[in-house]
Amino acid sequence: MICSPGTGVPGDDYRPGMPAAVETYSLGAPVPLGEIEQELKKLWHDGKGAMTRASLMNLAVYSEQPGSLQRNTRLMAQITENHACRALVIEADCNANEDHVSAWISAHCHVSSVGSKQVCSEQISFLLKGRCTTQLPNIVLSNLDSDLPLYLWWQEDFRESIDSQLWTWVDRVIYDSHGWRDFRSQMRLLELMRQEANCRIVLCDLNWTRLDNLRFALAQFFDHPASHHRLSKINRLRIDFAPGFRSTAILFVGWLAAQLKWQVNEVKSAHELRFIGASERHIDVELRERNGQPVHEIVLTSGDVEFRVTYAHCGDLLEVSRTQREIRHPQLMPAGNNDPVGLISEELIRGGPHHIYLNALNCIRDLL
Amino acid sequence: MNRTADQPEPNPLREGLAARPVPQPCNIVIFGATGDLTHRKLVPALYNLAADGELPPDVVIVGFARRDKSDDQFRSDLEESTRQFSRQPVRDEMWNTFAQSIFYHRSEFGDEGGYKRLAKRLDEIDKTHGTRGNRLFYLAAGPDQFEPILKNLKAAGLNQTCKGSWARVIIEKPFGTDLASARDLNRVVRNSFTEEQTFRIDHFLGKETAQNILVLRFANAIFSPLWNRHYIDQVQITAAETLGVGTRAGYYESAGALRDMVQNHLIQLLCLVAMEPPTDLSADSIRNEKVKVVRSLRRWSRSEIAANVVRAQYTKGAIHGEPVTGYREEQNVNPESQTETFVALRLFIDNWRWADVPVYMRVGKRLPKSATEISVHFKKAPPVLFNKDLRDLNVLVIRIQPDEGISLRIHAKVPGTSFRIEPVKMDFHYGTSFGKPSPEAYERLLLDAMGGDATLFARSDEVEQAWAFIDPIEEAWHGKKDAPELYFYPAGSWGPEAADDLLARDGRAWRRL
Repeated sequence: MICSPGTGVPGDDYRPGMPAAVETYSLGAPVPLGEIEQELKKLWHDGKGAMTRASLMNLAVYSEQPGSLQRNTRLMAQITENHACRALVIEADCNANEDHVSAWISAHCHVSSVGSKQVCSEQISFLLKGRCTTQLPNIVLSNLDSDLPLYLWWQEDFRESIDSQLWTWVDRVIYDSHGWRDFRSQMRLLELMRQEANCRIVLCDLNWTRLDNLRFALAQFFDHPASHHRLSKINRLRIDFAPGFRSTAILFVGWLAAQLKWQVNEVKSAHELRFIGASERHIDVELRERNGQPVHEIVLTSGDVEFRVTYAHCGDLLEVSRTQREIRHPQLMPAGNNDPVGLISEELIRGGPHHIYLNALNCIRDLL
Repeated sequence: MNRTADQPEPNPLREGLAARPVPQPCNIVIFGATGDLTHRKLVPALYNLAADGELPPDVVIVGFARRDKSDDQFRSDLEESTRQFSRQPVRDEMWNTFAQSIFYHRSEFGDEGGYKRLAKRLDEIDKTHGTRGNRLFYLAAGPDQFEPILKNLKAAGLNQTCKGSWARVIIEKPFGTDLASARDLNRVVRNSFTEEQTFRIDHFLGKETAQNILVLRFANAIFSPLWNRHYIDQVQITAAETLGVGTRAGYYESAGALRDMVQNHLIQLLCLVAMEPPTDLSADSIRNEKVKVVRSLRRWSRSEIAANVVRAQYTKGAIHGEPVTGYREEQNVNPESQTETFVALRLFIDNWRWADVPVYMRVGKRLPKSATEISVHFKKAPPVLFNKDLRDLNVLVIRIQPDEGISLRIHAKVPGTSFRIEPVKMDFHYGTSFGKPSPEAYERLLLDAMGGDATLFARSDEVEQAWAFIDPIEEAWHGKKDAPELYFYPAGSWGPEAADDLLARDGRAWRRL
């Protein structure tokens, strides 16, 4: 098989040289595969104005959706505002008749938070066609910014046929289990992949990241030691979720179950569950499908106290309240963004291993 | 950093969500609530914490001051200043919720009845707002008010709490004006609050890069073997500002640069650079190591002070091309003032790690640029091969402000057929690498105090040891006989020539900033 290092069609608004200040969302200049590093050097050399190249990681994004190169380039332009990286944007067309690889280089420049200096992240875009898609590890690994971690954002379902060599290089694999049709088989593949990488890869599920601010908002109710006893008295949980986000709601339940040592006792229906707590107390869980945010309201009842986390009217704030004997003090907290840029940014800021996620997953694996 | 003894058992739902002691619901009582610090720093910092979701919802702010004001008036004043000074734009809906938890309590600082009324009010707030009996008292009033405030807090029983609650006090600098007054202040504080309840704030320690010094030193194995007298030639610490005395003349005239900056901020930075690795990251482990550094600072005789410390005052000059007046011409400054606006010191830390490594410190107002930086100058490589003619040393620079970051100067061959070697700089900028802006120092420190983490606060022995080092210098300067000379420097220069001579005598020079 010959994978020709083609020079693909440049982005619609391609301009030679590096953008000085304006973010164009262009794929940039087409480059031969073997000359990417040299062309990147030229790009920086020819750049105008005071620019600083910055990179904290290699952030690769892989998709098989037609048009994903442009879409992901837009996302990268926004992500790099806060996370300097070398972006590797890859679109694969596995069903193409021809075997062909095209590559482009570009830069995303933003004015830094201090002063007027422009901070730029470089992007290498690849369009893989036909059997060249099997060359993914080869292409990614030969274009990494050295000594920096590799975060791979996988926008497709995982398959068994992916070259295991890739996983040995990946530090964090980012995916969104919300879109999975077969949760169990996907998890099995992910776990296999982790084993191949000696469990070194951190699994970053954006479906879990979606819950970060909600978990934070609920957790703060129990910070004071005087509230701890409420945790063992929880008897009811209601979660309202948007159509298609049942798995997100279930993950939230899994988190509570793992942290509070609950076990599944009875699955009454897809929307009614019963857990049993450490003190043999039953916890009834109701999952309600409603239009709104992926998970837009959580109500936890512990005896005569109700803890509520719900989206405020303005949408990007959470209203948290604790009600006891009809006395209620609502407060606002940030809700974070549920769009891909917000979720990826949250994930990149947080870092660290996600053992809490794995514990949560183990508790509700059979419910998904 | 680590959980302290008075910290409760962790909340299981917090696991993985917070890598720091979780701030507790509390009443924050600010004494001096109508002052600049409250309006410019404290309330904007608390608002930012709330907007970022870092502040527990059950936090109430009670402003305590003498002026007559209603809760609404106080909220309105704070809204105006927060809109002006907040790190992030103020959102109406967020402010409205935040402001519901702000109250004003009018009282004289010396009026015992005012504190009893405060105690009653805090009890009521505990019931209505879930603040759980936790109290954080912030002394943002003038230092002359500390004693009556602390005494009255005790008299009203506000220094004590019921089981499971806490009371803490945050004290703003100056922590005394000399060793005797610092001891006196510590005694006054101890009469009302234990050391564990006392948080002496030094906002320099809340800065991102100051905290990063420990990470740089103890999370990067490459520096550890080099961080000693065998490889380090000298350390320089510079805190320069272009501003003059401004509106602070009343305080500054009696303080001067040595008391205002060196005794606290610069010595704290030096401690972070010079301390031994702590046994763990608990507040006391870190502060134990810091205080050892201060205790190891070489004390001087009067004649040695003249040789190792330079004091100076700015005269008229220009900053960024604009003419500025001299210090003695500033408003509320004595026309014959002997107050120093610039100090340069040559210090030695007499311990195993740092013996004979000079530490040069300088701090000054009306200098050509504003910058606080620490530079660690490494010794020369052996004078063979490339190093016969090299003059520049390898220098590691830690920039505290502005443009927080770290740079390392190394030598590189200039491209070409000749063998010319020049210094080049490897540069790390927080603002470039991390898009997210750093929180203000006060945000971090307030959160730590609410979480009971005293790591970034000064302990009484640190403060007293620092004064024990500073006092002989002040005494020498203000002695009747043989007082070292007060030098003068034009505004916009890097200080008097005598400051350069301090290093020139050792064959060294101040780093060019």
